[in-house]
Amino acid sequence: MSAPSDVAASASSPGWTIWVLLAAAVWAVVRLVPMVRILWEHRRLLRSFVVRDLKVRYVGSSIGFFWSVIFPFINLVVYMFVFRLILGVRWGGDTPPSQAALYMLVGILVWTAFSETVIRATSTLVDNANLIKKVVFPSEVLPPFLTLSSLVNMTIGVPVVLVFLVALSTEIEGPKFVFDLGRLGLPLVALPLLIALQAVFTAGLGFFFATLNVYLRDVSQIIGVGMTVWMFGTPIFYPFELVQQKGYGWLIDPNPMFWLVEAYRNVMLKAEWPDWMMVLRFALVSLIVLAIGTRLFQKNRQSFPDLL
Amino acid sequence: MSASRAIYARDLGKRYEVYRKPSHRLFDMVLPGGPRYREFWALRNVYLDIERGTTVGIIGENGAGKSTLLKLISGITAPTTGEVQVSGRVTSLIELGAGFHPEFTGRENIQLSCSLLGLPDGEIEERTASIIEFSELGEFIERPVKTYSSGMYVRLGFAVATCVDPEILLIDEALSVGDEHFRGKCMTRLNQFQERGGTTVFVSHDMGAVKSMCRHVILLDQGEIAEQGTAEAVADEYLKRAHARGNERMNVRDGIDEYPRWGSGEITIDEVNLKNTAGERKRVFGTGDEVVVELEFQAHADCRKPVFGLGVYRSDSTYVNGSNHEWREEPIVLEQVSAGETGVVRVRIADVRLLHGQYYLTAFLYDHSKASPTPIDHREHVATFEIVDAERAQHGLVHMPSTWTVERRTAGGEEVLESNR
Repeated sequence: MSAPSDVAASASSPGWTIWVLLAAAVWAVVRLVPMVRILWEHRRLLRSFVVRDLKVRYVGSSIGFFWSVIFPFINLVVYMFVFRLILGVRWGGDTPPSQAALYMLVGILVWTAFSETVIRATSTLVDNANLIKKVVFPSEVLPPFLTLSSLVNMTIGVPVVLVFLVALSTEIEGPKFVFDLGRLGLPLVALPLLIALQAVFTAGLGFFFATLNVYLRDVSQIIGVGMTVWMFGTPIFYPFELVQQKGYGWLIDPNPMFWLVEAYRNVMLKAEWPDWMMVLRFALVSLIVLAIGTRLFQKNRQSFPDLL
Repeated sequence: MSASRAIYARDLGKRYEVYRKPSHRLFDMVLPGGPRYREFWALRNVYLDIERGTTVGIIGENGAGKSTLLKLISGITAPTTGEVQVSGRVTSLIELGAGFHPEFTGRENIQLSCSLLGLPDGEIEERTASIIEFSELGEFIERPVKTYSSGMYVRLGFAVATCVDPEILLIDEALSVGDEHFRGKCMTRLNQFQERGGTTVFVSHDMGAVKSMCRHVILLDQGEIAEQGTAEAVADEYLKRAHARGNERMNVRDGIDEYPRWGSGEITIDEVNLKNTAGERKRVFGTGDEVVVELEFQAHADCRKPVFGLGVYRSDSTYVNGSNHEWREEPIVLEQVSAGETGVVRVRIADVRLLHGQYYLTAFLYDHSKASPTPIDHREHVATFEIVDAERAQHGLVHMPSTWTVERRTAGGEEVLESNR
């Protein structure tokens, strides 16, 4: 894999865009104040929704919490088999072949949390119509609670990835178990920042599509398909360099989820600091998306009880 | 807002935009060429000034705007015009299971409702116990509410709404579900609530229920306040309107062909009319009124010994009364009816002893010339009518004239109280 600086160079856009984004993000932060206040006011409600959702995830099933561990493990085994042994995909550059599966795993972990939330958030107002129509209910808590719930779930999967990273050999001849703590590094402390930014971006899209879906119920169908398209437009199962070599890099460059996934991979798998320019750009875009999403939501909020 | 006022509304109105398709709403937002909706005013020009501690009844037909008014008072929806102010915590029992999350257990829903009302954590713990106790749900409290029966929903809903010390309680006909025991408990709870100075708004289309609970009644008709005042005054106005409307409905043909009809068809009962003493066609009568039922018939072939009969049923299919013109002390015997003949059979019921409710008639025409009667024209559900009982002095199906006496034996001697009416 190329050095992060190369990726940055390839994904960079003209210098002035960052200033436009910065200005827009300032506007976004100002706009977000009322929403943050509402969520703070209802923090207990938000917490109980998150706790309740996590309980459903884990308590309902017989092995509960372990699904969050088993799920990534099964994924890993499948990817290693399909992509490494059958298709012979190499991640390119100097990435050890046996680690290709780990690259995919990180991608899928982040992507699942993201797409699951956006899909659920899109229909969340319709799903909770009983509350919105019949009692005074702060519907603002719905998209954030879904975001938090899936991010907590994702965070449980992170140590699993790290264990594989430490335990799997980098040799070409196939999986062999070693134990090398040296593969973990200080950049892991950037994880909370990435998770927080992911939350901002996800919740923003959640607010946006939740509102649209009230007016046009087809939105939840479109989102289902759209998320699949978006997933394949994000380098999850293939390295970005491969696309770049074929001349399609410009297609993936402007995809914020690509910036995010790369940052996660740097931090978790390569023990490198993420490309800060890319993180900054993701942060600004996320804030803007959240501001637009919440603004649309708030403008229509009063009519939800009448429309559902 | 003065301290003694619980609910105050000025020029309150709610307009809904009715779109043929949901997507048209989106077009209206982004495309020119609108508006694409039809306006519908669910509520208009409503002024309210409800004192703390009163129990107010809101009455009206379906679609009169009762529920919309409750939603506006509780703050679930925002008014299109005017404003509404309430003082204190408002809880509502708007609909069965409203405000509950079907997947949550009873206990979780209690917590959800309490935190929606803004109760602090410690207090929620405290209240939960008393709510569970009042609802008598037992082990069901740990089950998802989607598994509850309608009675259980009401119990939980009522318990939550009243155990959190509301100042204003909005009830929308929810109490009609549930067993007698729980209903009694609810009434006791409501009385306590009223005594403590709580304000209740009670919505119903059952005049009797409203009259028994509220002194002040508001009558809504097509989204506007038609009348308000004491229960008695408003009840009269309500009945007047019910009469007028019921008679209007008469012109709409009953769905005659939807109900079973059988028989050999030599004679057909073509029309069934209900009339009052003055011979006017009516569909709404009062308890004790005279009702005339007319069956118009036409003979298509010769027929020996036909007998006409009439059955009266309550809307829930309870058989109330059946009679014909043969099984009488002075029977009418039709020996022979010839083809081409027409006529009217008139049944005069001097004093309808039925109480408030919806009823329907079934017309029978049987051939009694053989050993056992065979149907010529049997028509189920040929006409419906409504009995409106203004007095509501008695409950049930039939009015039974009665006298009451109470004998009191006290140290001071004996006293007999009597009521003949």
